Amino acid sequence: MKAKLISTLFAGLLLVTPFVAVNAGDDDKHHGDDGALKKAVAEATAAKKKAASVGGEWRDIGKFLKKAKKAAKKGKMKKAMKLAKKAKWQAEAGYKQVMAQKTVELPSYLK
Amino acid sequence: MKRLFTAAVVIALPLVMAGSAVASPADDSSAIRSYFSKKFPAVELNEFGNGVYAIDKVSRESWEAIEEFPPYETFVDAGEEMWNTAFANGKGYKDCFADGPGVAHKYPHWDKEKGMVMTLPLAINNCRKANGEKPLKYAKGSINDILSYMTYNSRGHKTNVVIPSDDPRAMAAYEEGKQFYFARRGQLNFSCASCHMQNSGNYIRSDILSPALGHTTGFPVYRSKWGTVGTLHRRFKGCNKQVRAKPFKPQGQEYRNLEYFLTYMSNGLELNGPSARK
Repeated sequence: MKAKLISTLFAGLLLVTPFVAVNAGDDDKHHGDDGALKKAVAEATAAKKKAASVGGEWRDIGKFLKKAKKAAKKGKMKKAMKLAKKAKWQAEAGYKQVMAQKTVELPSYLK
Repeated sequence: MKRLFTAAVVIALPLVMAGSAVASPADDSSAIRSYFSKKFPAVELNEFGNGVYAIDKVSRESWEAIEEFPPYETFVDAGEEMWNTAFANGKGYKDCFADGPGVAHKYPHWDKEKGMVMTLPLAINNCRKANGEKPLKYAKGSINDILSYMTYNSRGHKTNVVIPSDDPRAMAAYEEGKQFYFARRGQLNFSCASCHMQNSGNYIRSDILSPALGHTTGFPVYRSKWGTVGTLHRRFKGCNKQVRAKPFKPQGQEYRNLEYFLTYMSNGLELNGPSARK
């Protein structure tokens, strides 16, 4: 009985594994369909330029975009998309930061 | 009742307006000095030119030991050789700096003709370009040799940055430099003041943050971390990177204006560069 159960489970596992692998591949494809990634990179690049135009670019944005392109070349679309989104978020935050700091005065501890 | 209210407004309005008026450079300097004299009451004004070694006894001891055989000495010697070596056209630095090498206390200054802050590294490269020589890089390399020699010869002179009142562009440059100093930037959302004013004297990891007052007097500096002498703008770049902001170009307008503001804050302090730092 025990042996039957083990062999059934093992056979089941063998049947399921390819589907899991295929789905994982699908997931990567889903995240990184080429058009969506290109759009994300373009948006991040535009946001980077906007931040740089006011002197608000953060240090690692360029690095994230480079890594995103590199990951895409290797087919790691999910990783590439994540990096592009991170770059865009940082670029937008850098721009907002400059806008918020435009009229700074002497801080209260100096008054 | 209505009359009473009007009278109160008439009396209070000028007071409110005076309070919100833009502070003059002298007011800024006075506020900053008062802050540091309260924060470090045992430190005399000129001592602030020694950076963290003015406020921390332990680091001061090792710094004094280092100063017995200054690591910047070879750079001063190399700079002297540069000063005395003629350019290809037969002229040299002497022809550009008629008062001799000891002129670092005259920088930065407002150049009315060019409408910009003129720094010593920029003046050195202007001299080179005017004589057909290739300009030197502004952060690393041999610009630090000539700067070390010129600054060494300027030791003891007092910082004396002037913001001329007859050119509003000079005040605008000062204000831009001040804005840069107090604006938060980078992913860490720190301003220069967050570290070197508000938290000066506190630890950042194993290092103590130096006070802003006197920051400019010792440049160029030999930093043990760099293993060489570097310019003030190289240090600005490093600070910006540390707060995860993209740094600006050395000798670009942002850093020149920042230098203008920061050096003005050290007016009256003696130049003591080149110096040695951690």
